Amino acid sequence: MSKVYILGGAQTDFERNWTKEGKSMVALLKEAVVDGLTDAGLTFDDIKSLNRENRIACFVGNFIAEKYVDQGHLGAFLTEVNPAFYGVPSARYEAACASSSVAIDAAATKIRAEEYDVAIVVGWELMKTVESRVGGDYLGRAAYYDKEGRGIDLPFPKLFGKLADETLKKYPELDEKRYMDALAKICVLNYENAKRNPLAQTRKWFMSYEQASARNTETNPLVGGRLSVSDCSQVTDGAAVVVLCSDRYIDERGYKGKAIIKGYGHRTAPLLFDKKMADNEYSEYVLPWTRQAVLDAYKRAGLNVDDIDVFETHDCFTSSEYAAISAFGLTEPGKEYEAVEAGLIAFDGKKPINPSGGLIGCGHPVGASGARMLLDLNKQVTGTAGGYQIKGAKNVIMLNIGGSATTNYVFIVGAE
Amino acid sequence: MNIRTVIVIGVTGTMGANIAGIFASFGNAKVYCVGRDIEKVKKMIPRIVKSVKADAICHNLIPADFSMLDSCVADSDLIFESSKEDLAVKAEIATRVGRFMKPTAVSGTGSSGLSITTIAECYPEKLRHRFFGIHMFNPPYTLPLCELSTTKYSDMGVKDELKQYLKTVLHRTVVEVKDSPAFLGNRIGFQLINEAAQYAENYKDNGGIDYIDALLGSFTGRTMAPLTTSDFVGLDVHKAIVDNIYANTFDYNHETFVLPEFIQKLVKDGKLGRKSGGGLYQRLSYENGLARQTVYDINTGLYRDVIPYVFPFADKMKRRIEEGDYQMAFERLVDNHSQEAEICLSFLLKYIIYSLYAAKEVGYDITAADDVMATGFNWCPPLAMYQALNTVADVPELIKTRLPEICQKVDVDHLLTDVKPSKYDYRIYFKSGRKIG
Repeated sequence: MSKVYILGGAQTDFERNWTKEGKSMVALLKEAVVDGLTDAGLTFDDIKSLNRENRIACFVGNFIAEKYVDQGHLGAFLTEVNPAFYGVPSARYEAACASSSVAIDAAATKIRAEEYDVAIVVGWELMKTVESRVGGDYLGRAAYYDKEGRGIDLPFPKLFGKLADETLKKYPELDEKRYMDALAKICVLNYENAKRNPLAQTRKWFMSYEQASARNTETNPLVGGRLSVSDCSQVTDGAAVVVLCSDRYIDERGYKGKAIIKGYGHRTAPLLFDKKMADNEYSEYVLPWTRQAVLDAYKRAGLNVDDIDVFETHDCFTSSEYAAISAFGLTEPGKEYEAVEAGLIAFDGKKPINPSGGLIGCGHPVGASGARMLLDLNKQVTGTAGGYQIKGAKNVIMLNIGGSATTNYVFIVGAE
Repeated sequence: MNIRTVIVIGVTGTMGANIAGIFASFGNAKVYCVGRDIEKVKKMIPRIVKSVKADAICHNLIPADFSMLDSCVADSDLIFESSKEDLAVKAEIATRVGRFMKPTAVSGTGSSGLSITTIAECYPEKLRHRFFGIHMFNPPYTLPLCELSTTKYSDMGVKDELKQYLKTVLHRTVVEVKDSPAFLGNRIGFQLINEAAQYAENYKDNGGIDYIDALLGSFTGRTMAPLTTSDFVGLDVHKAIVDNIYANTFDYNHETFVLPEFIQKLVKDGKLGRKSGGGLYQRLSYENGLARQTVYDINTGLYRDVIPYVFPFADKMKRRIEEGDYQMAFERLVDNHSQEAEICLSFLLKYIIYSLYAAKEVGYDITAADDVMATGFNWCPPLAMYQALNTVADVPELIKTRLPEICQKVDVDHLLTDVKPSKYDYRIYFKSGRKIG
């Protein structure tokens, strides 16, 4: 079995609106792939020669281009990026907002199994092609659409609003005000962190604790139960590319200091939100399968939470980041607010979550977010995160979820 | 620099209002919003809140009028004057501010049409060192550029602290510029815009305004075509900027700052652009919901429908940009020798040269030109434009062959020695203008 190395990668600027720029999905793929390959030190000629020996493959993560841009068969689209991709095995992977994590998993598996030496992962989504209510309806297909999405205005904010309700219900000793306060602080941390990230969607936006706490106002309307706009990540356009490789390839090139994927976890919880909640009855965790995916990753990596220096989580909503805090093992379940209040997860805290800004700060082009997280993990471990670098990051973890925490993907990246 | 309380004088203007929003939000400062008519000021508060999309700043905004000016000034750590571009008005304000300003406070003006030094001299001598030009762009929430200028009186230590505050607290892209007419962004931007207007006059038989806009559209590295931009900011503003530059500077581009006669006339007739319901363009809406975009025809003096020009070079560029093939798009531009392609390319090359020139004269570093154009205009900044064109051609060579008359007027070789890689990505600025899907 080979180790799985990260050669490099790139993401597009998540502030960009490709529809306003009048650019197609092919333009998005071209920019992201060219930048990603450049960062990974790969040329199109390298791809051609690797492909002659069937040593390279591509793994495309995307949720629902069929709706947003009327296009399927997405794996084949790399041939439109450059003729070097003619003949290169390539397919699309899908698991809602965890789509690019499935692509990463497939790519890593092929590397580990020594079937390919180089794997290019491309996660992308174009979402600004439609207005927000139409897009919100499309996203309803990440839930059980007929039962939880169809005909419902903005179904996902409502589902994660219910997660907030369920969290309060599960931990009766948790004070509602304290909980909502923690959610507001989570929002503010992500916005603050995004200010250091030159590719984050919200880097110019204003957010403050006062604004995040003032829910149900004209500029911060409620969108799902007790959650307001400030509790939500925003849809955007974007792509992220990560190039993985085998130890054989590392030896051939003589590379040193590349990060490796040390472990992963992948668990699928009941699809329906109500079943998911009924299923947690005997667990201390509100999202037990999310917790299990984290435990699986720790086990595979031979690490535990004490070894982890940076956390990138799937804060599609503040309520999901809140649940992730205990899922990572940073606090006891039900005591997540402690980590928020004590500054543990702040940028300068001992266990920073989302130094990149996370989904709330960076923006959430759903099919790209998993690959974007892996890219950020790699930046942290290799000391190339620039303004949002956490000093001395050795082992780092990401949690990427699809649907209402249905698909749960965790990867741990670290120095070799 | 600890700025807890700010006074913005002239908050009933768009710029003053939006800047009050920036201080109240990112700065989390208590902001006295001062205007001559308190009722008008009160009406502005919801607009200020909306400009930064945050109801939470409401409690930071305190409406006031000139009768309260003295006490508000005395309470403020930073005084920002955004009154009308009239020296008599600004002098009167400066005198009052000078009387009540705390010795530790900082004062600034948003003026870009008057000399900062002259305004500084309206302050008592002992306060002049704490006065600066703080010029932001509209709307500041999306355009983070802030041109900071000093005078011979300025205390550089205070300037550094102020700069730090503007950068780290208010999240501005701060560019230090000299106290020169219109500063740097508008000098470069309105050179191009006004020359485009002159070309519209010269090519009025080809269509004029919409003809020139069609060949300098978003596919040439900007959000809005130049004459549409002029219409958007207002022809009176356009006139004030170029008249000021023409009267008070003298460089190789001097004649390109002469306002064309047709704009003079439109301004005189009160047709100031979008804000007055018509200027270079006029949008006609009908009761049945339909709308027509019309344009001022320089030949006839009447508005007519905008012509949907199709220039082969532009059409090909747009198709290439849509697919992300930027190099191929630039090849179309450089290899095509139609009148339209040649005008278009000459504008882009002249823009690079004038940016290099103006950065030397008004800025302190060539990257200043890049910062102002990217963050104040949303145009592909000059160094990035150089890089973009350099992917398909030798830009210095191109300048020599395409712009021999400019090369005679200015030492292009010398200017080009300043060229270095841009920190901006040119791809973001070139838009296809085409509808996707």
